[in-house]
Amino acid sequence: MTIWIFPGQPLKCEATPVDEPDFLAISGLCRLHCGYDLIENQPIGPRSLSQHTCLQIYGVAMSLYRTRQLKKQSFTPDMIAEHSLGIYAALAACGSIGEADALELAGRIGVCMSEMQGQSFSLGCPIGLATGAVESAARNNSVFVANYNTSRHFLLAGNGSGIESALEECRVAGAFSVSSFPCEAPLHTPLMEDVSSQISEIISDYRFSEPKIPLIDHISQTRLTAENIPLFLVDELKLPVRWEETWKFLRRVGISHCCEVGSGQSLTKFNRWIDSETT
Amino acid sequence: MTEELVNMVKQMIVDSLRIDGMSADEIDSDAPLFGDGLGLDSIDALQLVVAMEKDFGVVVPDAAIGAKVFASVRAMASYIEENRKTVT
Repeated sequence: MTIWIFPGQPLKCEATPVDEPDFLAISGLCRLHCGYDLIENQPIGPRSLSQHTCLQIYGVAMSLYRTRQLKKQSFTPDMIAEHSLGIYAALAACGSIGEADALELAGRIGVCMSEMQGQSFSLGCPIGLATGAVESAARNNSVFVANYNTSRHFLLAGNGSGIESALEECRVAGAFSVSSFPCEAPLHTPLMEDVSSQISEIISDYRFSEPKIPLIDHISQTRLTAENIPLFLVDELKLPVRWEETWKFLRRVGISHCCEVGSGQSLTKFNRWIDSETT
Repeated sequence: MTEELVNMVKQMIVDSLRIDGMSADEIDSDAPLFGDGLGLDSIDALQLVVAMEKDFGVVVPDAAIGAKVFASVRAMASYIEENRKTVT
């Protein structure tokens, strides 16, 4: 069985295929529905989009472009899974919403999250420690584990100073590496409750059809339906991504081939790590 | 350092990182592994740390040392050779 997996927000933009008709078509949708120039990775005209929001739209756009390429080659997966902001492109790929809605939704939610900027939030990336040690460092410094990617790869989110002290605790505990990045919103933590009602309001503007391809969520590894997608889109921003559990589940149900549909290869590399521990 | 060790390190990289469509002898012994070279990242780094320990019994304790060890295949082979000598 084959699966397409949709990654979350990339850290940076790759070179874009500006001569490809499908890329130009997606680029046109970005301009029209998000006020975002995909080729230059910047807002169009007076519209104010933060750098993070631009990257979020870019990530969705690249996933949509790659989806078009795969569909052109007549590839159809047996299942679709998603990680974090990969949900918007995944929803389009399984036929629950259109490409324009996926881009617009990502852009509007991105703008909403960028308004949390008044506080100083960061992401922290400890690599090499086991779950218990990372959870303990997060707890001791009042930050949160936002992504459980593998048994040794995590993402922390929360207040900037808390992230730095949690990473120092991880380093002292023997982490192979630690790094931090500024962010606008503490995605996948309970702190997102602050914008939960605004995000619910945005999501209520869209209509979701029943996925034509089974879409597996990254929280409880269940099939998303037209009915529960709106609630999932709100809840997933407040709950950690459970990628290790998701990939193990997908292996258990018989997934043998996987295609990462988006920018970069992070999920493929996480899967490689998870597989190396289970085979 | 022997070319045999250099080739063993290349094979370890291909096997542990499951680099499709690339054979060990296509890897340049002196090219950087991260960034512009093979384009490896921090996820790959930990995979290489585990593989080096498993295949050669050599530990890379942290990213600061890893940055030097993973500068190139030849640097990895050199680190393996040095640390094997320390053990024996």
